[in-house]
Amino acid sequence: MSNPNFDYYARAKQEHGHDHNHDHDDHAPVNEHDNGPPSDYEIMSRAMQELLEEKGLITAEQVRRRMELFDEEFPYRGSRVIARAWTDPAFKARLLADGRAACAEMDIVLESERLIAVENTPDVHNVIVCTLCSCYPRALLGMPPTWYKSRNYRSRVVFEPRTVLHEFGTVLPDHVTVRVHDSNADMRYVVIPMRPEGTEGWSEEQLAEILTRDALVGVTVPRIGR
Amino acid sequence: MSDKPLNRGPHDIGGEAAGPIDTTDHGMKFWERQANALRSTLGANGITCVDELRRAAEDLGDEYRGLQYFEITTRALRTVLLEKSIFSEEELKAKMAEIRARFNVPDEMESPIKAKAR
Amino acid sequence: MAASAKPERQSFTSSYTPAPGHRYDVGDRVVVKRAFPPGHRRTPYYIRGKQGVIERICGAFPNPEELAYGFSGKPEKTLYRVRFPQQDVWPRYAGPAHDIIEMEIFEHWLEPASAESPPVKGQTP
Repeated sequence: MSNPNFDYYARAKQEHGHDHNHDHDDHAPVNEHDNGPPSDYEIMSRAMQELLEEKGLITAEQVRRRMELFDEEFPYRGSRVIARAWTDPAFKARLLADGRAACAEMDIVLESERLIAVENTPDVHNVIVCTLCSCYPRALLGMPPTWYKSRNYRSRVVFEPRTVLHEFGTVLPDHVTVRVHDSNADMRYVVIPMRPEGTEGWSEEQLAEILTRDALVGVTVPRIGR
Repeated sequence: MSDKPLNRGPHDIGGEAAGPIDTTDHGMKFWERQANALRSTLGANGITCVDELRRAAEDLGDEYRGLQYFEITTRALRTVLLEKSIFSEEELKAKMAEIRARFNVPDEMESPIKAKAR
Repeated sequence: MAASAKPERQSFTSSYTPAPGHRYDVGDRVVVKRAFPPGHRRTPYYIRGKQGVIERICGAFPNPEELAYGFSGKPEKTLYRVRFPQQDVWPRYAGPAHDIIEMEIFEHWLEPASAESPPVKGQTP
């Protein structure tokens, strides 16, 4: 049965100054509302929000604004930063030294996040996990994908990273050191992948297109013409 | 007694055997995006801190394993806001009843709706 | 905010809180305490009792074990990144010996490695 009140959640599509490529198949589709009536947890969450609004501790506008940041801003930052690192060695050095300060140069404010960038080389492949919860550089990459939050990924990638990477289609020769980072406290991590051959002369915008979220977490490597 | 390791929380799963990884991102439901934004706003406004929310999630104990990510975070937020006396259990119950009525959802915690919404 | 805009080069200062003091230096061998207290802990179970090497000093951060219960987390604790050989962490690690795992460990969870604390190979909690 359809519920006439259900467009309670509907919100106007915000015009945003960004020229994002929303064909980005790396990001799951974004819906403006859910199908079907709300679950108990949804009702609980909504009730808490309304009580907090009534008590003047938050405003609906603040929540809406943060939702927009998570949907429309955060997911598109990481690829821009790493594309800059690929084209500007001095920037890459600063990113490796202090990720947060380097992002600030690009007017990307990471809020409370302290960022450590780790670089893939012909000898080292980095992969990121948070075994204890799902710590993730949200202000740089947006919300983590479903698999990053999953029990299977969190449990396994620490003790059988090569098997897990294989499940993502990433096969590494034995001579490459696999360096797993358990993001378990105050730091957040992003991988600087190796720039693929055949991208010489590409603009930062072109490079950002092949810098997928999965590559920035380290479960895949960037490829031309996926 | 069980052979459960001493004081190992339900969240502390690094090293456990588990199945293959579904490498597809299934995205987030609208309410999950809203719940995430709520949690983030509360942090930005200095009302809750992430460590408290993690602790409250871990304290779910055996329930933790059976819940989805945003179910866990929603329960944790409820715990922390009640602890801080930001609202009472009665206020929350009343507000949830009000919202159920608004959506025409039967007031049953284990209604078929829950299964359907999954 | 367009990617093509060229922001002014800003002065470069570290955003990390300098550690007020630190017991360990980069390269020091340390052992994670083999302790199993109740409560909120950010030291994963699987790494307790394992030996590693300080990879970097992250700075000083409020203690999450206190923040989790509504306290201020002060005084701040020094946080390190510690590198562990995978084969020392997992008894049956199937990959090559040079594979490593790194994570953040607060100073109060670390002890100096010594002759009395040889590598804890193959030990599970």
